Amino acid sequence: MRVKLKAGPEPRKFIDRIEELSGENVYACYQCGRCSAGCPMAAEMDYLPNQIIRLVQMGLADEVLRSKTLFLCASCFTCQSRCPKGIDLARVMEAVRHVLDPKGKDAFGPNEISPELARELPQQVLVALFRKFSK
Amino acid sequence: MKIHYYPGCTLKEKTTALDLSTREAMLRLDVELVEPEGWSCCGAEYPLTEEKIIGLAAPARVMRQVRDEGGDVLITTCSFCYAVLKRTNYALKNDALKHKRINAFLKDDIKINPLTKEKTTGFEDYNGEVKVLHLLEYLRDYVGPPKIKSRLKRPFPGLKIAPYYGCRLLRPQKELGLDEPDNPHIFEEFLELMGCTAVDYPFKQECCGSYLSVSLPEAATEASYRILRAARMNGAQAVAVTCPLCFYNMDKRQDAIRESFLDFGGLPVLFFTQILAWALGVDKSALGLAEHAVPAAHLFEDKPRAEVTL
Repeated sequence: MRVKLKAGPEPRKFIDRIEELSGENVYACYQCGRCSAGCPMAAEMDYLPNQIIRLVQMGLADEVLRSKTLFLCASCFTCQSRCPKGIDLARVMEAVRHVLDPKGKDAFGPNEISPELARELPQQVLVALFRKFSK
Repeated sequence: MKIHYYPGCTLKEKTTALDLSTREAMLRLDVELVEPEGWSCCGAEYPLTEEKIIGLAAPARVMRQVRDEGGDVLITTCSFCYAVLKRTNYALKNDALKHKRINAFLKDDIKINPLTKEKTTGFEDYNGEVKVLHLLEYLRDYVGPPKIKSRLKRPFPGLKIAPYYGCRLLRPQKELGLDEPDNPHIFEEFLELMGCTAVDYPFKQECCGSYLSVSLPEAATEASYRILRAARMNGAQAVAVTCPLCFYNMDKRQDAIRESFLDFGGLPVLFFTQILAWALGVDKSALGLAEHAVPAAHLFEDKPRAEVTL
């Protein structure tokens, strides 16, 4: 029996938004798993990178937006360099972070860094971190 | 010869070792590094979504300044700066919409001369004219191994160094094009030229944890540990890096790594420019060795070294 999956209007909107923001075709993914195999942070993740893209394909926005994985991606582009379909997964991750509630709390804000630590940290880590994880 | 050089935010204060050793070493190769006037932070992260492209403005402004000063090459040593500048350049060359929007934004720039208070405005479009090069690339393609070899005063006979590329130097290959992302060799060639033995090990292009060392320290600790352990197991006496953040994660946080992983024995982390500067005969005091958390000064000795034990 053939089962046809079709996203309803709400999930469809989410998928279109992710594709528009990232500039990537999420349907190109055929779940080979190379992204997750090479991901240096995979061990810490609740959903693996290939699972994130699968959830996006299915339009399961709530599942994706709740995932810890979004804030474990360090944009190291290992997945991008190995994807046989040429998807830049780091861009998909960034697009998902972008659609998170814009009025919500920062995933990681300046208040979480003690002044002692801030003095020791290289500037670039602060700039990069807030660019990625705060609103 | 004067060449434009972009040090970036971190090199000016936190990792002056990288900045100072770069300048000293390049002087020995007859290159004086000059900074573009009024440069700003590059933003550290290249914007990955199609909507937040304002992050392209700062790097584009820096490169436009280089062009307006008559430069055609911009050298940088920090991997983050390299990736942001080079990717911005690529976007402005290949993406007409980004080119139009960023240049429209930058047109209204006002530059004020600090002495005369004279205002300059109405800048010409920046179209990606400047060539962004990593210092490793500049040494290979512009200075060339024969010239470097002829200037070497103190090569390192047999010192085993593990080159660490990290994430930003190699990927995405289409935009950066420095080397093959899964089989790079530019760093190895540099180390061999310095007389070192380049150690081959499996984690040289893995991520060290990057900025997660602040938001999720445990995750970054493990990533850095994997790299250092692999280097040590393959006989490295030190790891060489190009990026101040890799240096922070692997050198300054090595105590945290040792606390989490009791089997880890420690390994000095060097900047590639310290190796270059020393080999070219720069004084030890200009290498910034006091900035290292893991002592590395024993690697820079005039006398033949005994085997390093840690």
